[in-house]
Amino acid sequence: MTRDERFETEALPHLRALYGTAYRMTRNAHDAEDLVQETFLRAYRGFDRYEPGTNIRAWLFTILHRARTDAFRRAGRSPQTVEMAGEGPAVPAPQEALASGAEDIERALLALPEVFRVAVVLRDVEDLSYDEIAGVLDIPIGTVMSRIHRGRALLRAALSKRTP
Amino acid sequence: MTGDPTAMDAGCDPVRVTAYVDGALAAADRLQLEAHLAGCPRCQAQVDAERMLSSAVRSLPAPPLPHGLASRVRRRSRKPVALRRRVWIPSLAAMLVLVLWGRGSSSFVAWEVALDHAHCFGKQRVPAQVLTADPMRLSAWFDAQGTELPLVPASAGGLDLVGGRYCRLLDRTVAHVYYGGGENQLSLFVIPGSVRFDRAYVWRGSGTTVNLLRVAGSNVALVSTDVPSIAAFRRSLERTIAEGGSTVTLPPALW
Repeated sequence: MTRDERFETEALPHLRALYGTAYRMTRNAHDAEDLVQETFLRAYRGFDRYEPGTNIRAWLFTILHRARTDAFRRAGRSPQTVEMAGEGPAVPAPQEALASGAEDIERALLALPEVFRVAVVLRDVEDLSYDEIAGVLDIPIGTVMSRIHRGRALLRAALSKRTP
Repeated sequence: MTGDPTAMDAGCDPVRVTAYVDGALAAADRLQLEAHLAGCPRCQAQVDAERMLSSAVRSLPAPPLPHGLASRVRRRSRKPVALRRRVWIPSLAAMLVLVLWGRGSSSFVAWEVALDHAHCFGKQRVPAQVLTADPMRLSAWFDAQGTELPLVPASAGGLDLVGGRYCRLLDRTVAHVYYGGGENQLSLFVIPGSVRFDRAYVWRGSGTTVNLLRVAGSNVALVSTDVPSIAAFRRSLERTIAEGGSTVTLPPALW
């Protein structure tokens, strides 16, 4: 199998997942497409560094995250990286998430600060393990844990406000 | 514990509860937390809420994939490298070439582009990858391959835009734009920025004239057998670029 064929069969099937995550990072289709194009361009150029049989999804998400960080750097900004202090909001009733429709949840997810949003998406949508997320985002496991916790707490708070 | 089910006691650790929900705790920690959950309605409520939320987020519909994205990704990510990968030259010659390019020998660069110009226009049909007389479409084509090209003139010095392609000059991939009109032909090459050469260098050999110039911060080679065409074209190019305000840039990864 040639390099191109391997790239086609191993990397490209993850396009939908990468686009979905890119969309939830950038919150618009245009920037998401640019980000995904850049990700695959980098992945193709660096494909020789990818070890066949290892975790290609995590590898691709790592490139996606770096491309996003570089885009921020070029724009002279940085994603919100400050961890919020303090405990989460008061615990809302467990059934609140069920009471919210998919649209409410999507809206609340997109309204989260990006660092929490990305951690929640990688965990809950992409089903990456804490170890994998730590590798993708280049942060310690403890930070992964607190970002997911914080992200979910904010989501729950946002959804409980919508539910009378 | 008091009677208040929402009160947090010293054993409550909401962050670890999140890790528990995600199955990310080591066995010993998990057992310890489960023992705590049995007596702590507050943490148990968090477990239930996070499980529900996590599964609701998991079942959100995926954002719709833009139409044609897969083919755009394929085209953009693969083409430039694929072109570069086809270049093969014996190692000794390659080393000499690298030294010459690296040292920015103007005459060497000029000689190479003159050869390529003669080679392309010596064919029955110019080997273009995109045939168009429209500078916008030409730029769009190069852009789709990952190369930013400025708006070049549609015609100048009696020459009209014909098309373009990527050409391999030794170890480099270079954007090559064709112009033709009557008996005359002209090539425009965008030379990688890492190659240094003299400003406004003119080279003549075998009836071909090469003009190396810096336009809007980039190195451009104009090649033709007709000297007045080059002069006229050069003026037009400088004017077009000045008006367009764009720069000739190539992604560094190509080189």
